[in-house]
Amino acid sequence: MAELKQFNTPGRDPNWCPGCGDYGIWNAFKRALVTINIEPKDIVIATGIGCGSKINHWVNTYGFHGLHGRLIPIAQGIKLTNTDLTVIAVGGDGDGYSEGGNHFLNGVRKNINMTYFIQNNQIYGLTKGQTSPTSDEETKTKSTPEGSHDSPIHGLSTAIINGATFVARGFAGDMNHLIKLMGLAIQHKGFAFVEILQPCVTFNKVNTYDWYKQRVYYLQKEKHNSKDKIAAIGRGMEWGDKIPLGILYQEEKTLYENLHSEIKENPLVKQDILNIDISSIFEDYM
Amino acid sequence: MAKIIYNRKECIGAASCAAVCPEFWVMNEDGKADLIGGKEISDGIFEREISDEEKTQAQKSVIACNKEAAESCPVNVIKIEE
Repeated sequence: MAELKQFNTPGRDPNWCPGCGDYGIWNAFKRALVTINIEPKDIVIATGIGCGSKINHWVNTYGFHGLHGRLIPIAQGIKLTNTDLTVIAVGGDGDGYSEGGNHFLNGVRKNINMTYFIQNNQIYGLTKGQTSPTSDEETKTKSTPEGSHDSPIHGLSTAIINGATFVARGFAGDMNHLIKLMGLAIQHKGFAFVEILQPCVTFNKVNTYDWYKQRVYYLQKEKHNSKDKIAAIGRGMEWGDKIPLGILYQEEKTLYENLHSEIKENPLVKQDILNIDISSIFEDYM
Repeated sequence: MAKIIYNRKECIGAASCAAVCPEFWVMNEDGKADLIGGKEISDGIFEREISDEEKTQAQKSVIACNKEAAESCPVNVIKIEE
């Protein structure tokens, strides 16, 4: 059985601001890995750039800290190379929806068996407080002194429309709910996407823990059918006075990796490449 | 006498208590906060009393420190009873 201490990094503690939502996500993440009983040696965490993207520095698994917004292609490349690994991408709302927006749109279209956790604090925190793609309209920051004039991205609905097969939302302030949600997402066979609401206690003084607590509600207590795609897209558009938490959408679909004969039976990393003769390919061009 | 009551089960490990009141709060290796000197009175609920015998001035600063810890806790799992 996996134990919590296996995922700890003694002597190296997170340097997030005290009160940051990243702590709740980090704690829930490690506990979710224990709950679903995966060993650290079988896990790779791919991250982008941002405060939350430093999470793989403080979880004792394999990790790849990539460029801004590039965590999905890194994660998908790792997964397609070694399908035996549990691959999890973690990054922020700016990283995933802006710098990585193209990768997000196209990554969810491939039903590769991986998980993507996006930490949404509605601000660029690491760069000291500019509007992000999820900032509400009229949000005033250093980059938008007159207030943001842009419509916020609805990431959950976008993911559902474009093919993600597990789409959910959690909240850093409800760790027990988040542990279960993260566990279910990692166990899902296919592309699982979870947006996690979290405050930035330093640079976002509007969307605080209390702001979220007053608005979130749990889909499991509603009559929501997570197999109804249209209803799920509608839930994903909800924002403002009521914000849904839980599984919005889930479907079973053939895995991308099972549609490719090269890796269907055996991961690339386990295939013998010593006796491959590619000279016949070159002959076609001679 | 004052009393600190801490619901460790609901702690998310945000570390704000340990940042503002390190004499009483420390982060455990499991990622959650520990109330130094706290006694578990029921499953996951810890208490620590601040006695009247302590000097008034010291007691005030101790209570102020822990009130700040309670106010900074994002999930409100620290209570101070006076």
